[in-house]
Amino acid sequence: MAKSISDKIDELKTGVEWFYSDDFKLEDASGKYKTMTELAKEIEKDLAELKNEIKVIEEDFSK
Amino acid sequence: MENAQQVYSVSDFQAVCNQIMETAFTGVIVEGEVASYKINQGKYVFFDLKDAQSSVGCFMMVYGLRFPIEDGMRVRVRAVPKLTNWGKFSLTVQAIAPVGEGSIKKSLEMLKKKLTAEGLFDPAKKRPLPDKIAKIGVISSTQAAGYADFCKILNERWGGLTVLTAHTQVQGMVAADQIIRALNYFNERGEVDVIAVIRGGGSADDLAVFNDEALVRAIAASKIPVITGIGHEVDESLCDLAADVVASTPSNAAQMLTKDKRAIAENVRADIKRINNLLNTKIDEITEANRQEIVRVYQEIVRKIDSVKNEIAGQKKILDQLNPERVLERGYALIRGDIKLGNDISITMSKQEIEAKITNIRER
Repeated sequence: MAKSISDKIDELKTGVEWFYSDDFKLEDASGKYKTMTELAKEIEKDLAELKNEIKVIEEDFSK
Repeated sequence: MENAQQVYSVSDFQAVCNQIMETAFTGVIVEGEVASYKINQGKYVFFDLKDAQSSVGCFMMVYGLRFPIEDGMRVRVRAVPKLTNWGKFSLTVQAIAPVGEGSIKKSLEMLKKKLTAEGLFDPAKKRPLPDKIAKIGVISSTQAAGYADFCKILNERWGGLTVLTAHTQVQGMVAADQIIRALNYFNERGEVDVIAVIRGGGSADDLAVFNDEALVRAIAASKIPVITGIGHEVDESLCDLAADVVASTPSNAAQMLTKDKRAIAENVRADIKRINNLLNTKIDEITEANRQEIVRVYQEIVRKIDSVKNEIAGQKKILDQLNPERVLERGYALIRGDIKLGNDISITMSKQEIEAKITNIRER
């Protein structure tokens, strides 16, 4: 199942927090940074493509 | 003469009159001032509607009262004219609403007091907007500028939402019932996460529908959280007080219902920039720490070399002091040979080598 934008934003947030955590390792940082950059691009693309679906209900509320 | 004309019984005449009036006035709207207002048996409402010259009696059922009414109030009624069995002309009122700033305000105050006492506006009953909104039920007129503003801001700020719009009138005497039906529609289906009641700005008369008692009660009773975006910032209706969340305008309602995708995109870019800077800082810190460690190790090596050098110098000094040449330089001589009278010996001094013969030996 494709990840939602919210899921991706949460993943990015967790990824960013890793850089500030005690788990940070320089040898892993470059790979993580690349992953985060790709994720950020994906989020921006998803945001740009998001469209709302607006439907007017056919029900007649005057009756 | 009598033979040529229709002769009616009284009842028939009254029935024909009513038929003609019903055909002529399918729903006449009359505006005037209320007088002699009373409710009989808790069910039947009677009052006169008058102006400077005329007065007409009115009748309605108490459940049709959507606004508190009292004598002196200016109202507009939608009614069917009727000739009663007693020959009295009256209006059977289908709907009534106060008109004019003074009457609307007075009616509003009375209703607000009543509904407040019932706890309809209790802040403790308010529900927050859901964290994740996927479907929004909108109740508005699709022709209204407020609805267009709402959709525009919604589309600018966020996407991926399903918006189901119930098109209703948003002003006039029939609007309240239409909006109530739309609220019931969404509540019965339960498919939307939130209901937004939207209407742009207007006069007090235009917005009076949002002080309709039945509508206010329907909003307060909604199982689905309701947000109102009605009128301008200065307008506050009883529907606003009954809603879970109040937006100042339709645009503001759209803002409150959505995240801002441009702000999110900016935050995402800022996050990446931040970790990029952090990574560079960490690399700089580690590089600096390594540089300092190299300097420290180098200095330690130099110190150890100096220490060894000093030790060697000390040893050399001791060796120097033990060197026989140094002893000779202090004036001593080295004698080689068998020390017996008449023997030849060699004497080594600092600057000379001497060959000598022993001519005398004396004990010390």
